[in-house]
Amino acid sequence: MTAPLSLERLRSDVAEVLAEEPGSFADDENLIDRGLDSIRLMTLATQWREAGFEAGYLDLAQEPTVAAWWNLLEGKR
Amino acid sequence: MNANIETADVVVVGGGPGGSTTATLLAKRGHRVVLLEKETFPRYQIGESLLPSTVHGIGRMLGVTEELEKASFMVKRGGSFRWGTNPVPWNFLFAVAPELSGPTSYAYQVERMKFDEILLRNAARNGVDVRENVDVKEVIGDDERVRGIRLADGHEIHATFVVDASGNRSRIHQGVRGERIYSDFFQNIALFGYFEGGKRLPAPDSGNILCAAFDEGWMWYIPLSDTLTSVGAVISREHAAKLQGDQEQSLLGFVDRCEIVKDFLSDATRVTEGTYGEIRTRKDYSYTNSTFHRPGMVLVGDAACFIDPVFSTGVHLATYAGLLAARSINTVLAGDLAEDRVFEEFEGRYRREYRVFYEFLSAFYDMQSNEESYFWKARKVTNFNATDLEAFVSLVGGVHSGEQALVQNFRESSGALADAVERTGTMQTESGERMHHLFGTPVVREVMQEMNNIQVRGVQGTAARELPLLEDGLVPAADGLSWVSVGEAK
Repeated sequence: MTAPLSLERLRSDVAEVLAEEPGSFADDENLIDRGLDSIRLMTLATQWREAGFEAGYLDLAQEPTVAAWWNLLEGKR
Repeated sequence: MNANIETADVVVVGGGPGGSTTATLLAKRGHRVVLLEKETFPRYQIGESLLPSTVHGIGRMLGVTEELEKASFMVKRGGSFRWGTNPVPWNFLFAVAPELSGPTSYAYQVERMKFDEILLRNAARNGVDVRENVDVKEVIGDDERVRGIRLADGHEIHATFVVDASGNRSRIHQGVRGERIYSDFFQNIALFGYFEGGKRLPAPDSGNILCAAFDEGWMWYIPLSDTLTSVGAVISREHAAKLQGDQEQSLLGFVDRCEIVKDFLSDATRVTEGTYGEIRTRKDYSYTNSTFHRPGMVLVGDAACFIDPVFSTGVHLATYAGLLAARSINTVLAGDLAEDRVFEEFEGRYRREYRVFYEFLSAFYDMQSNEESYFWKARKVTNFNATDLEAFVSLVGGVHSGEQALVQNFRESSGALADAVERTGTMQTESGERMHHLFGTPVVREVMQEMNNIQVRGVQGTAARELPLLEDGLVPAADGLSWVSVGEAK
């Protein structure tokens, strides 16, 4: 829960909310096709906000891929 | 001393959604709760359009999800509005985008006779001592705290807490020793009835609430079943005198002057028998009490505050306050935190929720520009008296930024909202299905924040994580039923 926000952590958090194995989806894969819904998106937004990533649920919804979120996070650093 | 005295941990006055929610969430922690309801359920009530956080957040915490599904209420995926500059309706949908239509993307339109009874019977199943047809006469207490209630027949129930969820017409809210303060800008009244055979918006919006502005105010059009529709006119209080006369003629007159509702009702007939056969009026002034709590007593729902019906917030504000009250009382009864500390959290969160909806309301009414209309001119932010606005907003805990700054804030909210509505465009178009513009405006973001938290809580249960909402605020415990300091949350 307290791991710093690395690309690795983004992937593992996403895997956890989707109840999938890490590595079973690509960074550029649209996560909605993997079952991501609004509740899971809100959950991720809250977890990451706690770790200092100020993007909200809506920002994440714009382009729901790990790669896009990583770019967003890098842009905010 | 009267021998007719009994004791409980908590007495809840009122068996509507606010009272049932509070009582159930207290009983889930094992407390002895007596709920006193004036009427015998099922009974009629207005406020039929729900929001997703009530259905998917509070509903799951109460354990009524399956029962609500079985009741086959009309599914509502949002609101459709003939409002502002667009001559045709546009949508405010609960899902940000069609592909993100998860568990939180819909709510229900409910017959309150059915919905409220589901919640009240569920409270009893959870161990609440529910008593109907009981008239509470007054609150008893002393300068230190409220100590219980007295019934009309003299019977007393002494309790550590009294929860007033008895609605807008009851007087016992005075037990917290506050004042009810009315907004100067939203003193509306509603006149409403029921119709069979009204038209529906095209699927998948056929279950949406339709709100349509016209010169004298606006109308709601709520599909309760495939054929039954709740129709109401929200108009200026200056019409009150006229409504003393022929209410049917008045209602049909408003319908006749509101183009889209007139069209939707062109082949419909008004229900004239049974519960839905009556035409009713209600004073829909927006108000808030100057305080929601004093030691031993707390206000929930319409007993505490009310905001204009345009956003379907009645049941939301009541059940949200019920959740906050239960968390607060559970914390005190467990001896975890001091009463003043937890009720600071209660009052802070409840006022915040009211304030963000009040700002949204102001921005929303501001969009309907109609310079010829007395109703709309009096409700434009630019025409607000800055001193009156400041007085009301500071009461609900707004930022003390000064009068002119406040009017400026409200103008900016209004401008951003109008812009987002324009960019979203007409319902059932490519852009009109996507809520990014609307959800992205600061006022809507604020409005959605707690409602989203509650839904995550409902769906994820103990796995839900919440950050403090208020500065130096408390957070919910793992089960969501009490408060803990931030360091203690796991």
